[in-house]
Amino acid sequence: MGLVDRGRLPKPLTQLFNMGRSYSLWVYQWGLACCAIEMGAAFGSPRYDVMRLGVIPLPASPRQADLVVISGTVTDKMAPVIKRLYEQMPEPKYVISMGSCANCGGPYWDSYSVTKGIDQIIPVDVYVPGCPPRPEALLEGVVMLQQRIKNEDMGARWRGEGSQPMALAQSAKQAVKKQVVDGESAERGGVPVVVDH
Amino acid sequence: MTLLGDRQQLSYIASQAADARVNLELETEGMTLNIGPQHPATHGTLRIIARLDGEQVVWVDPSCGYMHRGYEKLTEVRTYPQVTALVNRIDWLGSFANEVPFILAAEKLMGIEAPLRAQHIRTILFELSRIANVSLFLGDLGVQLGAITPVFMAFRDREYVLNLIEGATGGRFHPNFDRIGGLKDDLPAGWIDETRTVMKKLRRFCDEIEDLLFGNEIFQSRTRGIGVIPRDIALQYGMSGANLRASGVDWDLRRDQSLPMAWDKVDWKVWTHPDGDSFARCWVRLQEVRESTRIVEQLVDTIPAGPVMTKVPRIIKVPEGEAWVCTENPLGEMGYYVVSQGDLGPFRVKIRSASFNNMSITPWLLKGVYVPDIVTILASLYFILGDIDR
Amino acid sequence: MANPPNEEEFQLSLTTDTPAATDVVRDGILARVQAALGDKIVESLLKPGDDIWVRVRTESWRETAVILRDLGFSYFDFLSAIDWLPSPFGRGEDDPTEPAPVRDNTIRHGYTGGDTRIQMLARVVDPTTSMGINLKADVPDDNAHIESWTTVYAGANWHEREAWEMFGITFDGHPDLRHIYLPTDFEGFPLRKDFPLLARIVKPWPGIVDVEPMPGGDQDEPAQDGDAQ
Repeated sequence: MGLVDRGRLPKPLTQLFNMGRSYSLWVYQWGLACCAIEMGAAFGSPRYDVMRLGVIPLPASPRQADLVVISGTVTDKMAPVIKRLYEQMPEPKYVISMGSCANCGGPYWDSYSVTKGIDQIIPVDVYVPGCPPRPEALLEGVVMLQQRIKNEDMGARWRGEGSQPMALAQSAKQAVKKQVVDGESAERGGVPVVVDH
Repeated sequence: MTLLGDRQQLSYIASQAADARVNLELETEGMTLNIGPQHPATHGTLRIIARLDGEQVVWVDPSCGYMHRGYEKLTEVRTYPQVTALVNRIDWLGSFANEVPFILAAEKLMGIEAPLRAQHIRTILFELSRIANVSLFLGDLGVQLGAITPVFMAFRDREYVLNLIEGATGGRFHPNFDRIGGLKDDLPAGWIDETRTVMKKLRRFCDEIEDLLFGNEIFQSRTRGIGVIPRDIALQYGMSGANLRASGVDWDLRRDQSLPMAWDKVDWKVWTHPDGDSFARCWVRLQEVRESTRIVEQLVDTIPAGPVMTKVPRIIKVPEGEAWVCTENPLGEMGYYVVSQGDLGPFRVKIRSASFNNMSITPWLLKGVYVPDIVTILASLYFILGDIDR
Repeated sequence: MANPPNEEEFQLSLTTDTPAATDVVRDGILARVQAALGDKIVESLLKPGDDIWVRVRTESWRETAVILRDLGFSYFDFLSAIDWLPSPFGRGEDDPTEPAPVRDNTIRHGYTGGDTRIQMLARVVDPTTSMGINLKADVPDDNAHIESWTTVYAGANWHEREAWEMFGITFDGHPDLRHIYLPTDFEGFPLRKDFPLLARIVKPWPGIVDVEPMPGGDQDEPAQDGDAQ
C-alpha cells in the first residue's frame, strides 16, 4: 500500500479497492436507546435484512469494525466510553449517527445530562434523522455511505485531508435541501443527510 | 442489613471461605469482571461490576445512569401535551403504555374522563404495546442463553404488531396518540379485521416459542432454580409485574384497581407461578402475551360507538392538586405522581418506573451465583435501560 | 366504523361506578393508620375514591415505616422528594436579552401542608387490598437530612441514593450513599428548583420567537449554492 501512502494509486485500482470496501462493511452496533431496537430490526430481522447490502453486522469487537452506528441518546456519562471505543477502531472508519438524540440531543435538547449531538465527540459521516428513524431510513443511510466510500480518494484520506467524496457533493446538497423543505419527513425518519468534513 | 438475613450472610461467609481456600491452594486472587456499559445482555447501557471468586460472584455493583436523561426535571419545563411526547420514550418498547398513566393522572386532576370508545381503544393499544414489548423479550431471551433462532421469529412477528400500531396511530415506535380527554383519532377502516388476523399469528408465535425454547432441556436446566426471589423479598424491593407474579404474588393492577380503562369488561386471567426462579418469570411473561391477545380479540369485538375525544379547552390548564396513577405496564408497575399548581405544565412529576425497582434487587440476587447465570438472571428480570434511568 | 356497536354492551358499560362521596374502605384504612401512628401524624387527608395522604413528623420518619410495614403495607412503591420552591426561572422561556421578570416566590404546599421547602414523598402499598398511602415528611431547610428506610424496606436503598443525588438530602444510616445516575464529578442537585437548565437559559425558547421563514419561500430566493452546507 505504499502507493496509497504516496497518493499514487492508479484510479482503476482505487475504484476496485473502494468497491471492495463499500460492500464488505463490518458494522459495530452501538445500541443505546430506542433507536437500538430499530437498528436491531434493520440489522437482525429477516424483514429488512441488511446483509443483502453487503453489510455484516456482527463483528466481535470495535477493532474489527469499519463502521459504527451510534443509535440513541448519548449522555455525558456515556460520552467518554464512546470516544474510547471509536478510537479503538482501525482506519478507515466511518460513523453513522442514527436518530435525533445522537444528531443533536433530540427531545432532550435542554437536559442536564444529555450530550447535544455525537458530533461533539467524534466525526460523523451520515446523519439519519427521525425519532426513531425507521429501519428503511437507516438502510438508506448505509447505502449513502457506500456511495461515498465508492467515490472516496484513499490517497487524500491517507494524507489527512479528510474523506473527500468525489461525486456525491451534488446529491448531498439535494439531500439537505429535501430534508429541510420536507419538514415532515425529518420528523418521521426522512432522508438521511451526508456531510463533508 | 439484618432484614436480608441468612441467605446473604451465608453466601458472604461461603464466598469468604472459598476465597481463603482458593488463595491457600492455588494462590489465586479474586477477579473483577466488568460487563458493559455496552453489552448485548444488558438491553442497553447497564454496567455491572462483579467481584468473582473462581466462577462465583462474591459481590456485584450494578452501575446505571448511562441512559439518564433527566425526565423528572424536563417535565417541569414542559406543558402537559409536551410531556406526553416525552414519556413515550421511557420504556421504548411499550411506548403507548407509558402515556396512559400520565394522561389518566392529568384527567383525574381535571376531573374529566375519556369517552367509552376512547377507553376501549386505549386498552387495545395498551395491550398491543405489551405484546410488542414482551414478544421481543421472548425472542431476546433465546439470544442471551445461546439460542439465536427465536430472535428472528420475534422480530418477524413483532413487525405485524408494529404495523397495527402504526396503522392506528401513525407512529411505529412512539405513537404520542393519547390526549388529555381521549385520543387523537379514531381507528382506520379495516383495522379491526387485520387485528384479529395478527392476534392469531401472535398466538402461533407463542406456541412456537414454547415448543422451541421453553420445552428445551438446555433452556430449562439453565433457568430452573436460578435466581430465586422469595415473596417477601420481592415485596420489600417493590418488584412488580411478571417478576412479582412469578414469586407467587397474585397482584395485577389491571384487575385490582378501578381505572377508566376497559380491562374489567373482558374475560382474562392473571397468571402466577410459585417458583420465583428465572424460568417462572419467563413463563409468566409468555402466558401474559397469550392473555393480551385474548384481551385484544375480545375488545375489538365490543368497541362501543361514540366520540373518541371529550370536550377539553384548547389550552390545557390543570387545576391545583396532586394525583397518583399507576398501571400494569409490560415491565411492571408504572406510576406518575403529578403535582399541579394550576399552571400550563406540571409542578413536579415523580415517575415511578418498574425496572428501577426490579433492578435494585440485583446486588442481593446476584450474590453467590455463577458467572453464566448473571446473564440468565438479568435476562429473566427483563429491564429496559430507559425505564431504569429515566 | 368497522364494528357496529353492541347495544346491550354499550348500555352496560355506561354504568361505570362513579367515585362515591364516601369511601368506606379508605376510611377504615385511614382510621387504622391513625390509631397505629398516633401523634406521629401531623396532618392527613382522604379523597374518597382517590387516595390517602399522611404527613408525619420528621423525627418519626423511619418509625412510621416500621409501623406501616407491620400493619400490612409490606410493598415498597417509591421514595422521592418534592421541592416546593417556585422555580426562579419559570419554565425557562424567558428571553435572555430582556431583563428577568419578577416572579412570586412564595411557597405553596400541596396536600397535607408543610413547613419546609423540601418534603419527602413516599408510597407504600398493602398488596392484599392494593390500597396505598402517600407519606410525606418535612426535611429541615438548613441541613437537609432524614432517617434512612433501608433497614425497613430493602428497596429504599436505590431510591434514597437517587433522592440524595437529585435533592441533596442526606439519609442517616444509609450504607452506601453515592451517585447512582450522574457522573461522580457532577455538581449541583438537578431536581432542586433553583438548578437551572442552561440550554434553556442561554438561548430564547423557540416557542416565543417568530417562526423561521420556510426555505423555498419568498425570502429564500436569493440563496446561492453552498447555503445548504
